[in-house]
Amino acid sequence: MSHILKLQNISKHFDGKTILDNISFEIGTGEIVSLLGPSGSGKTTLLNIILGLTQMDQGKIIFHQSDLTHVPMRKRGFNIVFQDYALFPNLNAYDNIVYGQRNNKESASPQQIQEYIEFLELKPHLQKKIGELSGGQKQRVALARTLVTNPKILLLDEPLSALDGVIKESIKQRIQSIAREFKLTTIIVTHDPEEALTISDKILIINQGKISQFGAPQEIVHQPSNDFVDQFIIKQLHIKRQNIYNLFGEQYA
Amino acid sequence: MPNVKPEMRVIFVVILSLFAAFLFLPLLILFARSFEDEQGISIANYMSIWSDRNMIEASFNSLKVSAAAAFISTILGFMLAYAIHCTNMYRPLKSVLKTAIVVPMLLPTITYGFAIIYSLGNQGLLTKLAGRSLFDIYGFNGLLIGYVIYTLPSAFLLLHNAFQSVDKKFIIVSKLMGDGTLRSFANTILRPLIGTLGGAFVLSFILSFTDFGIPASLGGAYPVVATQLYQVMLGSIPDFNQGAVIAVLMLVPAMFGIWLLKRLERLNFHYDKLADTELPRHRIRDAAFGFISIATVLGMLSVFAVMFIAPWLTAFPYDLTFTLKHVISTFQSSDLTRVYVNSLFVALLTALFGTLIAYSAAILNVRTSLMGRSALDIVSMISNTVPGMVLGISYLLLFNGSSLKGTFAILVICNMMHFFTTPYLMAKNALSRMNPSWETTGELLGDSWFNTVWRVILPNSASTVIEMASYFFINAMVTVSGIIFLVSAQTSVVASKIKELQHFGKFNEIFVISLLIFFTNLIIKLLCDYLQKRRTVN
Ligand SMILES: Nc1ncnc2c1ncn2[C@@H]1O[C@H](COP(=O)(O)OP(=O)(O)OP(=O)(O)O)[C@@H](O)[C@H]1O
Ligand SMILES: [Mg+2]
Repeated sequence: MSHILKLQNISKHFDGKTILDNISFEIGTGEIVSLLGPSGSGKTTLLNIILGLTQMDQGKIIFHQSDLTHVPMRKRGFNIVFQDYALFPNLNAYDNIVYGQRNNKESASPQQIQEYIEFLELKPHLQKKIGELSGGQKQRVALARTLVTNPKILLLDEPLSALDGVIKESIKQRIQSIAREFKLTTIIVTHDPEEALTISDKILIINQGKISQFGAPQEIVHQPSNDFVDQFIIKQLHIKRQNIYNLFGEQYA
Repeated sequence: MPNVKPEMRVIFVVILSLFAAFLFLPLLILFARSFEDEQGISIANYMSIWSDRNMIEASFNSLKVSAAAAFISTILGFMLAYAIHCTNMYRPLKSVLKTAIVVPMLLPTITYGFAIIYSLGNQGLLTKLAGRSLFDIYGFNGLLIGYVIYTLPSAFLLLHNAFQSVDKKFIIVSKLMGDGTLRSFANTILRPLIGTLGGAFVLSFILSFTDFGIPASLGGAYPVVATQLYQVMLGSIPDFNQGAVIAVLMLVPAMFGIWLLKRLERLNFHYDKLADTELPRHRIRDAAFGFISIATVLGMLSVFAVMFIAPWLTAFPYDLTFTLKHVISTFQSSDLTRVYVNSLFVALLTALFGTLIAYSAAILNVRTSLMGRSALDIVSMISNTVPGMVLGISYLLLFNGSSLKGTFAILVICNMMHFFTTPYLMAKNALSRMNPSWETTGELLGDSWFNTVWRVILPNSASTVIEMASYFFINAMVTVSGIIFLVSAQTSVVASKIKELQHFGKFNEIFVISLLIFFTNLIIKLLCDYLQKRRTVN
């Protein structure tokens, strides 16, 4: 598989504290990659560096052979859904979705926009104000608004953490099928191991600004490369499994 | 926060240059002038000022009457706020009181003095009703009443806001813990509010100390610093260097006061979360505070009552027959109508440009990562410290020879600089509470920064923008102290015209144009309230 995005030796300090320490990894075209790690490990910072919002102190970002390191955010052509969605409350759902349309020639055509709206099942909610939408609906509106700009890479910061149970699963599937159907390279920040393992092709585990392990879900589960991965990722899943086993009995274990 | 864009830098530089030219430079000139005399640079002016017995007396009077007024305003403001927040008083009555208490803010302070004369003077309305002269109003008493009326709304608003963020659940908790009434009051009300109480006192003191309108109309035999300053600058023998010294001396308590306000803020409590709490029932408390607050507001309004009555009577208080002649003659006087139009013009321009500058400054300060953006907070603090009279005199000294002299522009600029702080803080407050990612989102969706501000930031803070404009407008309409030094025959505005009419004893005209200011402000206020309501409902 060809690599679309390469990060080389990325480091970042805030107020003399090392937040990201020598991060290097590569992402293939159309892959879904999760950035997994505990709170404060530097996931959002790394995502913002890829986006171009935060400047890194050292390192290089290569996209399709060209060096993006000094390319400003807007010229990179990536887009993000923020954790709190950052929807514009003065506009209704539809106007939020098409907000970027008039600004870019490369943005989605009217048919494509309709396609996104239908795919995300937003038709009945288009005229609603942002305040009238549920969490899951807001999430989908924000996703649609971002997709309309036809981003070269889609970045999602904790897209599921504000959602509960059933909605979480359905959004998860949608994100997966969007990435597959539109061949969209997607980077997702999460702190939930189960989420990371079930949604992604590759997982980058970060702890205290360093890479703990980078690999496919299978690899991580079967060959945890160090104590941290074993203790914090695999252990959690075992506890979950134990809980379910206690509730339902043998056949679920 | 979005990355810094060149256009942000441009606006930043423009705003800072404005303040450099129209706030720092004039103040600098003022300082320089205060040290200048025939021999060159010296502190002779500062020495000679104290050889003037009047000046010593005036300083002492100012301190005394301002402190007394601040004390009374703080107590009354507290009782009113307490009545509104901590009693089970009839709800509609609470909102009436809340509205009525701020009525004086719609009038120039110079009007207060005349209202007091016509209410409490020897022939005054309230004196007649009482059947005898209550006390001598020309001097300490009159000034005290005027200052209290002037500062009570501000003190009340400050305390009212603070009360809003006091968690009343603790009143219940304290009761459950077995605290007595006094102890409970001290712990749950006084302690959380102690900083604000101090703040209300300091604010009232500064306002009184630096006000010109009230002593201008009432002072006479009782010299205060503000009237001394006016005498020295625009009296029969103007002495600009002496004036500069007095202005600097007026700045000192103001500076000290602002510093004190900052210190007092630290005493304030911050509760995490406020729950709506049912207050314990207490008949006597409710009745007592109901009575005190109604009496306070009625007393205050009764002083102004005469203003609404006198212009319709032939020769108040001697001939009480109804007539329209004063009103008609006022409106027929092309002079007065022109002055009114001038005022509207200045107030509208102040509202427009003032809001633009304050809003832009607030955006740069809280929604960008621009280097040096905290300079705007310093600018705001300085602008807040400088009393109107001091600013006016600095302008007089700096721009007297320039083409700005006697223009509308200088009035508008003076107002913008003088009233900058409050709207700036309003905007900062609103803007900092909005989602910090909007600009970045807009940029990722292809907007320029201006575009996102126009399409997203502005619509989401429209209600605040309206409030800012209304603040600038109303204050520009009523201000006397700064512009009194800057108006010319062509640019005369209502508030300064009143001073002139006083000279000719034309009191009916004074009341008619005061009413004109009042109703103009009332309309603007109601209109803005209505627009704000509509925005928040949507
Ligand atoms: N602008 C900033 N200035 C100073 N420190 C910062 C800044 N942004 C992030 N940090 C610090 O960098 C560290 C990593 O932050 P980051 O937001 O990347 O963590 P995270 O992994 O996304 O955590 P969470 O799961 O809580 O969102 C934290 O210690 C944070 O306090
Ligand atoms: Mg984060």
